[in-house]
Amino acid sequence: MPSSRDGRLDRTLAALADPTRRQILRRLARGHARVTDLATPFPVSFNTVSKHIKVLERAALVTRRKEGREYFLTFRPEPLAEVERWIEKQRAFWGASLAAIDDVLRKEEGESGK
Amino acid sequence: MSGKAIVRVTHRFDASAERVYDAWLHPEKIRLWMKAALMEMGLSGELGRVEVEPRVGGRFFFSDMREAGEAKHWGTYLQLDRPHRISFTWIVDVSQEEDPSVVTITIKPDGKGCVATLVHEMPSQWASFAERVEGGWSRMLRGIHHVA
Repeated sequence: MPSSRDGRLDRTLAALADPTRRQILRRLARGHARVTDLATPFPVSFNTVSKHIKVLERAALVTRRKEGREYFLTFRPEPLAEVERWIEKQRAFWGASLAAIDDVLRKEEGESGK
Repeated sequence: MSGKAIVRVTHRFDASAERVYDAWLHPEKIRLWMKAALMEMGLSGELGRVEVEPRVGGRFFFSDMREAGEAKHWGTYLQLDRPHRISFTWIVDVSQEEDPSVVTITIKPDGKGCVATLVHEMPSQWASFAERVEGGWSRMLRGIHHVA
């Protein structure tokens, strides 16, 4: 399954790996915000926050929109939903594997019982 | 605690713990159940190589044909304790070699049959997602979907 899909999952997970970025996302999940407003509550420089925002944009977790002179940031949940779908797929695969083993062993039992 | 993302599934078998254990390590049996499981997932179930070296430190390799080409799965057996426990690394891409998923199957006798619990632990890069997945990100997602 190595594919661009795996690359996207990696980018999403790497973006979530930093506590400041997670905080930015949580803030944006409550509603879109200006870049300047977003930087205010963080104990790091504007430049650092700006770099974190770029990582989130590359992971498609955040989009930037220009309104007049201001940039507004919006949270995009799709990459998170994709990670959740991937986890669900793993769960479904292992569930199907255990059910399939059950079937194989029942058939063996049926055959040896004849 | 570890913050690792895990998938856990449990299944009760009428078959003995030994037979369930062996089904994970015999290539012919793996071919039978894996084909069925892949088809259940909507895939062709057409298997390529199925190779196992069932000893601790031994490797396994499975592949199946998909639209995008051959899907490869491989790993190393970490624990083999018949009929109680099988643990192996589970890798689908070379980029995961350094920080692989770990799958552990624990089999407990139950009457004449047994109960198997499979736990798939994601690599450590998933920890920050796992931290939030219980309630956190999921709730955020539901909220967003609701708004949208």
